Amino acid sequence: MGHRTLDFLFSPVDPPKPSAERKNPLAKDSTFDSDAVTALQDEFGEHIADVTLYANEHTVYVDRESIVDLCTFLKDRFGYVYLSDLGGIDRFTEEQRFEVLYSLIAMERGKRIRLKVRLDEEDPVVPSIYGVYPAAGWNERECWDMFGIRFDGHPDLRRMFMPEDFEHFPLRKEFPSLGIPGSLPLPSQTDDGEIVKDPFPAAHGSKPLRRTPFPE
Amino acid sequence: MEARTDHNEVFSFWPKHNERLFARLESKHLHVEPSTDPLEAEMSLNLGPQHPATHGVLRCALKLDGENIKTCVVDIGYLHRGIEKLAENKTYQEFMPYTDRMDYLAPYSNNVAFCLAVEKLAGIEVPLRAQYIRTLMSELSRISSHLLWMGTMVMDSGALSVFLWTFKHREVLYSIFDEVAGARFTVSHSRIGGVAGDLSQRAVDLIEDFLPKFSEELDEWMPFLNRNRIWVDRIQGVGVITKEEALAIGMTGPNLRASGVKFDIRRFEPYLVYDRLEFDIPTREDGDSLARYLVRQEEMKQSVRIARQCLDALATLEGPIRVDNAKQGYASKDEVYYSMEGMIHDFVMTDTGVCPPKGAEVYHAIEAPKGELGFFLISDGTGSPWRVRINSPMN
Amino acid sequence: MAFDLKDGFMTTTLDTVVNWARSNAVWPMPMGLACCAIEMMAFAGPKADASRFGSEVFRFSPRQSDLMIVAGWCSYKMAHAIRRIWDQMPDPKWCIAMGACASTGGMHRCYGVVQGVDNFLPVDVYIPGCPPRPEAVLHALMDIQEKIRNEHTVAIDGAV
Repeated sequence: MGHRTLDFLFSPVDPPKPSAERKNPLAKDSTFDSDAVTALQDEFGEHIADVTLYANEHTVYVDRESIVDLCTFLKDRFGYVYLSDLGGIDRFTEEQRFEVLYSLIAMERGKRIRLKVRLDEEDPVVPSIYGVYPAAGWNERECWDMFGIRFDGHPDLRRMFMPEDFEHFPLRKEFPSLGIPGSLPLPSQTDDGEIVKDPFPAAHGSKPLRRTPFPE
Repeated sequence: MEARTDHNEVFSFWPKHNERLFARLESKHLHVEPSTDPLEAEMSLNLGPQHPATHGVLRCALKLDGENIKTCVVDIGYLHRGIEKLAENKTYQEFMPYTDRMDYLAPYSNNVAFCLAVEKLAGIEVPLRAQYIRTLMSELSRISSHLLWMGTMVMDSGALSVFLWTFKHREVLYSIFDEVAGARFTVSHSRIGGVAGDLSQRAVDLIEDFLPKFSEELDEWMPFLNRNRIWVDRIQGVGVITKEEALAIGMTGPNLRASGVKFDIRRFEPYLVYDRLEFDIPTREDGDSLARYLVRQEEMKQSVRIARQCLDALATLEGPIRVDNAKQGYASKDEVYYSMEGMIHDFVMTDTGVCPPKGAEVYHAIEAPKGELGFFLISDGTGSPWRVRINSPMN
Repeated sequence: MAFDLKDGFMTTTLDTVVNWARSNAVWPMPMGLACCAIEMMAFAGPKADASRFGSEVFRFSPRQSDLMIVAGWCSYKMAHAIRRIWDQMPDPKWCIAMGACASTGGMHRCYGVVQGVDNFLPVDVYIPGCPPRPEAVLHALMDIQEKIRNEHTVAIDGAV
């Protein structure tokens, strides 16, 4: 069965525009941490690809080799002891298809910072920050499950939501929203029936089992 | 995979998954010595996805030594829907009902969280009256969530009557939500740019009626439960999570505050009108179940206090309940019915929706009853998001 | 049933008596998965009281219940567990698919959700709604009771 190539009209390759014209009413001070950002640029200059600012939120784009060092630096020097979020993004571009997003909070200083690591499609591997933040454990498993991004050094990289028997990565853009027929088995409708391996059995002709016939 | 029923004992599902799960159980934390003495042997038990105590579905593979649990590996995903995938095909407003069903004990909070994230993305300013209404309803849904927690927690420990008392109040809250939003609990009342409709006089009366009665009954329950020897014995010292552990594993919400970390998004990054309201953040040091119980109980009282202030403010505050810009929020129903532009804008809003700038990405978190609920949105310039990442309260 | 009370006799069919007993003591097994489970708890709660219909005890054990109420969306991972629990319930058993998600997959038209539990369970009553009001669940319970009253269970195939 041939597959139609997906045709996306938009993909976020343009950098976000700084909101200089009008202050965003929901922008917060806590997301703007110029001290930490300048310190990072001084310390890790060549490993930082970019620093962006939108709605008063700093985002630091990092090389994957130095993410662990960067997190340790932020944890020790700037009080970012708490990992709030770790997730994956599929940009669906030729180069640097995936991004891993890290969101850290420094509670004492009242600041939040976002780090991003960009990965290529051929080699979606990034060092795990489980050693720095054990909170990353489950989030990295989720990222593996949904995108297929491997985390080196994670103690137990199993799938988070989908069963291990599932062979695809659902949140990748080429995975159809309705699922792939044959990828997930369903129990049989009758006691001795066949296991149906199809997300949408009704769409392929199987009928729901009725206890009593329709009152015709 | 053979297809048979339970009777023939050949039926097994998800073999690879179960293999890896139980392999992890063996390797986690301690090494198990095989032993022929049955009293020394450890049993592995599946606290399966369906179990009366797991309200909802949670599977724990346990290693038991008698009745003590030695290690436990949690298996989740039994309620995985792929809403992050669905969101990429819907406009921002169309996604609102999905947010209701995320944390279905406090749907209004989820709605508000998503609305705030989209408003931050697109730079929409919400009128003050709508912000007060959102705050009020969020706090009522916080009370609703904590009431359900209390009812089921105490019911699971044996005292069934508390379940009925808390559900009686929840029914009153449901009537309030019904009056305000039209639905009992999956409300979808919050719209991008404001709220769907204003509070009617009957809704205000219902809330005015509910708040004092509820706080009175809460004060009655507190000595009944908090000084109950059996109850306190059961939950004191159980499940202690220290402050360092809590921060390391990324816990949020009342659980974190019960472990001694005074962190509440309403004070850390104030949103809506929380910076103008007076309320305390209850914190406890112990980190055991008793502390978590007391923190949530105290939070209910604070929610009543916040709701009271919101009601008082709303009584005198006049104003629109949605942003005036037709590209950013739905037009009011009058405009839709009685003017051509209003109708066109209504169609365009439903069809295309709010279009934030291309490439913009924001993260906005709120203090949901369970913890920090955040949405990370990436816009591709169209009315539907490129990526919605939901940072749920429990990791 | 015909009564002849002065002699203390009552003539009826076995089916009627058995069905009367069964329909007024339907013990549900709540397969509460998601938001519909909260409405199911409200259905068991004080305002819309299920116990006045005989569904006093919500038996979480399949071996002790007659009626399985699937409340909430069923994911592929969970489907096998639900099917196994259904198999563990002894006959006679009935099934209610509560809510849009259990009936047809509801708003979740995506890879993770089974588009209706009737793809692997024989459902008797479907309740629309997202979530259905407890009154709707009571109506469904009454439908099940009606269904039970019309069954011919005792005299089957000439046995008895």
